[in-house]
Amino acid sequence: MTLPIVDVARTRPWPPRVSSFTKPFWDALAEGRFLTTRGRTSGRLTFPPKPFCPYDWGREIEWVELSGRGKLYSQTVIHAVPAAFAGEAPIRNGIVDLDEGLRVAARILGEPALDAAMECVVLRYTDGPLFAFRGR
Amino acid sequence: MADAPLQALEHEILAPLVIDAMATAGLPKEEIGALVFAMCRPYTLQKYFATFMANYLRLPLKGTIMEVLGNGMTGGMAFDEAVNAVALGHSDVALALGINMESQANSAEHMMTTMRAVGDVDFHSIFGFTPISWYAMDAVRYMHEFGATRAELASVAVKDRRHAALNPIAQFKKPLTLDEVLGARPIVEPLGLYEVPPRSDGAVCLVVCAEEVAKASARPYALVRGRGFFHEGAHQINEVPNDMTAFVSAQGAAATAYRSAGITAADLDLAELYAPCTIVQVLAGEALGLTPRGKGAAQAAAGETSLGGRIPICTSGGCLSRGHPAYSTGLLTIYELWEQLTHRAGERQVRNARLGAGSCELGNYNAALVHVLEAVA
Repeated sequence: MTLPIVDVARTRPWPPRVSSFTKPFWDALAEGRFLTTRGRTSGRLTFPPKPFCPYDWGREIEWVELSGRGKLYSQTVIHAVPAAFAGEAPIRNGIVDLDEGLRVAARILGEPALDAAMECVVLRYTDGPLFAFRGR
Repeated sequence: MADAPLQALEHEILAPLVIDAMATAGLPKEEIGALVFAMCRPYTLQKYFATFMANYLRLPLKGTIMEVLGNGMTGGMAFDEAVNAVALGHSDVALALGINMESQANSAEHMMTTMRAVGDVDFHSIFGFTPISWYAMDAVRYMHEFGATRAELASVAVKDRRHAALNPIAQFKKPLTLDEVLGARPIVEPLGLYEVPPRSDGAVCLVVCAEEVAKASARPYALVRGRGFFHEGAHQINEVPNDMTAFVSAQGAAATAYRSAGITAADLDLAELYAPCTIVQVLAGEALGLTPRGKGAAQAAAGETSLGGRIPICTSGGCLSRGHPAYSTGLLTIYELWEQLTHRAGERQVRNARLGAGSCELGNYNAALVHVLEAVA
């Protein structure tokens, strides 16, 4: 499944560090797929992705693709922003509960109501991707 | 003003407080065996501030000396560790103290640091979440679920300002109206300027000692009667969807504190809560059992948490008006309880105050530390 991609004509204000472990996440996101990890022995998903399972500390994990669908749990519009984000102010950020039972915080597009059905989109900045959610 | 000439340095402000605190306690400096400092902000140039101060004050110590860091809980942890130093017998007298200087900091630059403290740097900070943005999302969810109104939440700021007007150490004392709070420019929606913390400077020194030392001093004191702590194992949000506004850590810490004190929430005469925003005071009050779940904002608006009300909360004026020198706020909490329980609180005195609770927290109340203090008759 490929996520909608929204182009943003500037660089990310505070880009994530990409480690050898998290590279698959960011590479997949750039291609329109929202991934995380699942512990092989526990069978449980975690987010952000981790090189082990935080529930049973099992070291065997697998990358799985998430639907990117969920419900908006809460949101805010941040007017007083950190210096690096001055060019994006005001910022609408929120918390989305994914259908897979994970809670994720991210940028929110549009002005959805709480509990609205949401979908993940890729923000394609000029230097790399971020994820965001919008109403669907 | 950032370019104004220096007027005082941290140690020059804190040392007289130490001398005053020991004079009030009626104890000689030789009795002090432990110093537990709330860590200074990065703006304080003197590093290893604790041992620097031990030299400045000429204080050899047989117990311990440390600087603690527990995010927003820092001041509360400094007090907690000083209590431990006495309880463990390392010293009969310990000081819990700190100075937090940050009012000169540029907010947008300051938040470049704090945004990295309240979230995963690579998965949250990338979106620009600030410390109070998480509380704002609590407010949005709380109003959605319980039907609390903006005016009810805002009433907390008006009430806190009324309390602060009676507190000599408060940062803001000018009366504030509900219309001013509701009409203030937005900072993190729905919260405006008067519902979020100011940038504050503050210094505190508390004297903690064994009860026989306090008794022998013949000075008023308060007893630490209960203590509870809980960390929910989550950083800002739980990756498994839960009831974010329930503040489960505050519930857990309070339950432990009340149990260890042998009391219930109904026995408390007042509470001083770590609450940087109006919504946080409402949610922490509910989690500590001071107001019913979902009713905290309405009860604040009805005056139940005001001085003279059923359970006064933040008689100092709280973070919003007393001020929020973040790493020292937890110490100011205990200071206010001590003032109330030794009946030194003047015009803001809670009549016959016997039991008081103090809380502090970190993150979005992901951890909480609750103390119950008791007046000595």
